[in-house]
Amino acid sequence: MARPSRLQALCAGAFACCFTATAAAEPAAGTPVSFLACPIARDAGPEADLCFFAEYGGVRYGLANPPDWGSPQLKHRVLVEGRVNGGAPVCGAIAIEGRASVLPEIDESCNGFIPYDGVVKGAAGGVFNSGTPEQRAFAADLARRAAADPRLSVAPAIPDPPAPPPPSAPFEARSLVITYPFNSDRGPGPDMVALLRLADYARISKARRIYVVGYMASSRLSNGEEIKESASMAQRRAEKIAGILTGVGVPEKTVQVRWESQPIAGKGEDDWRNRKVELSLQP
Amino acid sequence: MPASIAYDNETGRLRIINASGGFATKGHAFFTPLGPNGRACVTCHQPADGMSLSARTARKRWDATNGTDPLFAAIDGSNCPSLPQAERASHSLLLERGLIRIYLPWPPRAADGAPIKPEFSIEIVSDPTGCNTDPQYGLASKTPTISVFRRPRPVANMKYLLELPHGVPPSDVLFYNDKSLLPKNPETGGFASLQLMSDGRALTLKIQARDAALHHLQANGALSKKQLDEIEAFEKQIYAAQDYDKVGGALTGDGAPPGLGPAALRDGAPARLGNNPINRIFGSFAMWADPPVPTDETPAAKAQREFKRSVARGAELFYTRRFVIQDVGKYNDKGLGNPFKRSCGSGCHNTLLMGMDLAPGYMDLGLNNMPWANARPDLPLFKLVCRPDAPPQSYLGRVIYSHDPGRALTTGKCADIGASMTQQLRGLAARAPYFMNGSAANLRELVDFYDRRFNIGYNEQEKLDLVNFMSTL
Repeated sequence: MARPSRLQALCAGAFACCFTATAAAEPAAGTPVSFLACPIARDAGPEADLCFFAEYGGVRYGLANPPDWGSPQLKHRVLVEGRVNGGAPVCGAIAIEGRASVLPEIDESCNGFIPYDGVVKGAAGGVFNSGTPEQRAFAADLARRAAADPRLSVAPAIPDPPAPPPPSAPFEARSLVITYPFNSDRGPGPDMVALLRLADYARISKARRIYVVGYMASSRLSNGEEIKESASMAQRRAEKIAGILTGVGVPEKTVQVRWESQPIAGKGEDDWRNRKVELSLQP
Repeated sequence: MPASIAYDNETGRLRIINASGGFATKGHAFFTPLGPNGRACVTCHQPADGMSLSARTARKRWDATNGTDPLFAAIDGSNCPSLPQAERASHSLLLERGLIRIYLPWPPRAADGAPIKPEFSIEIVSDPTGCNTDPQYGLASKTPTISVFRRPRPVANMKYLLELPHGVPPSDVLFYNDKSLLPKNPETGGFASLQLMSDGRALTLKIQARDAALHHLQANGALSKKQLDEIEAFEKQIYAAQDYDKVGGALTGDGAPPGLGPAALRDGAPARLGNNPINRIFGSFAMWADPPVPTDETPAAKAQREFKRSVARGAELFYTRRFVIQDVGKYNDKGLGNPFKRSCGSGCHNTLLMGMDLAPGYMDLGLNNMPWANARPDLPLFKLVCRPDAPPQSYLGRVIYSHDPGRALTTGKCADIGASMTQQLRGLAARAPYFMNGSAANLRELVDFYDRRFNIGYNEQEKLDLVNFMSTL
């Protein structure tokens, strides 16, 4: 007896399969995908967050962005861009390495929600459940102490991290690339933290120059259609980043800003990487 | 005013602590009328009401003075200054809902006074107070003005509102929502926390005091530096919280939850996350969860024990009961996803000891915007139409009906329509009604709103437990 394909296994839940009319061939690892679709939210259990997937060509793709890149939203379509990565299923669907961008306009038809049915079970999140062994040990010790002394429950458990040592000479050139969701100038939190560190480095090292270059892009969908970002997006991204740098004390005269007025043409493969701001620091 | 003073309320007693010690209120800028209408800051920020103003206090003052108390000043203590001021009905929003008229220029103005080009137009759909259509005070007047009606926020526990958030980088520098820079505090040059006001239109206590003196107190001239310093110093050192319950007894002291009472606030660390297994927003209530039952327990002692157990269950519900949060503008769309699943405490009310959203959290809970708002025929209703090129409100689009556009009246942005800043949850028992538009007359109505809005499905016992829990804060 032949083993069920991963797609068949993913569709084992009867209710979950309501969204898939016909089974399609499972794409091979490395296959690029780029499409617009409604995300479907799925409850992954009482202790877990919701997860999202989207369907294209009869195949379900899990939507998992990096932290704070922007999770999918019902009432909005998503632009899904990535490559099948052959990894463990995400939200009960095929995992891709890539990004899902929320489109700003409302689409009332995007309202798919699967209540918890036990088919897809998520793990509880948070540093105390999924942190490093050191973090878990720290949390467990705190929990023991707080149980013995309830006053600790209102004393901050997570102290401010010590300030990193200031950079010292010799100072070196540094660079940073920030990528963005489609038609958005909202950089994700971890990238913004990196940006603020770069600003600190620039101030302390008295950098001669920080070059900020903004880009916008088009995306080539798998069906051949091309979608473009707003004409001002490269400028908006670049000026926002430059404004943050000067707002936290980087001398304005050292920040050189420009943007590309033409979008980078999409090829249908990893087009999300073209929506970006590039920074380079010269000591 | 003594260093420590308690005030009775419906469920128990609120205690005020002046951390700097007792002082004479006579001549003090916070307690002295600073304008011709006879009002002082304290008129709307009453110590007995947790430094806010309850509708009950407003009614008592009306009855005691036949409406002549400065609280009922025509400018904003009535539904509209053009109404007959001697009539009780002209002050119905203040008397029934504890609402003060907030009148804002349209289009909005930036901090430097420059007009902001709004992304939306405003049409008045209904105007039960008459103020938005009033020829002198309304939208078509010589000085176009929008009138909305809001609750006075409590002026206590301020260090928690003023300090920038810890432990949630980069939210000490950037807005969580769009990762733009926080505004600068003009007095320090640093960034401002934005927690102070529901719409963020005043960034510091001094700016708020100047604004309040000009509008609420109708002061003729600017406040002096001495007056501003005195008001700010007072507001920075006052702490307020419930410390006694009529059924549950003392809420502080040996064996009590460590987060209750104003001393915990005075001694606590501000602007920290409380949504982890150790820090549970208002601290541990485990000591009340299952206390031993004495063999000779009196009925009063039993009632006290049962109340404490109910409070502990309510705390656990608040901290851990997750529900699906959907279509909250400026919340689900700030990267979290729509829907998003969190508890009260791990979602929007995560600041240790206080319960605001630590990363400055403007959001449209649905209090004022259709279709979620409670029926409020007593409030004006506006139709807001956003420009086609403006980013829409994420879940309501570009045509929105609202009783109060909230933050959008300050920024002019379509996406901000209906959004307001979460507020602290301390001293609740002293300052009903709740929500910025006073739409919950009591804590039960507050719980019912959330239950309906997010389809949580609390049962009757759970609702009672949550009410009891919040009444102890």
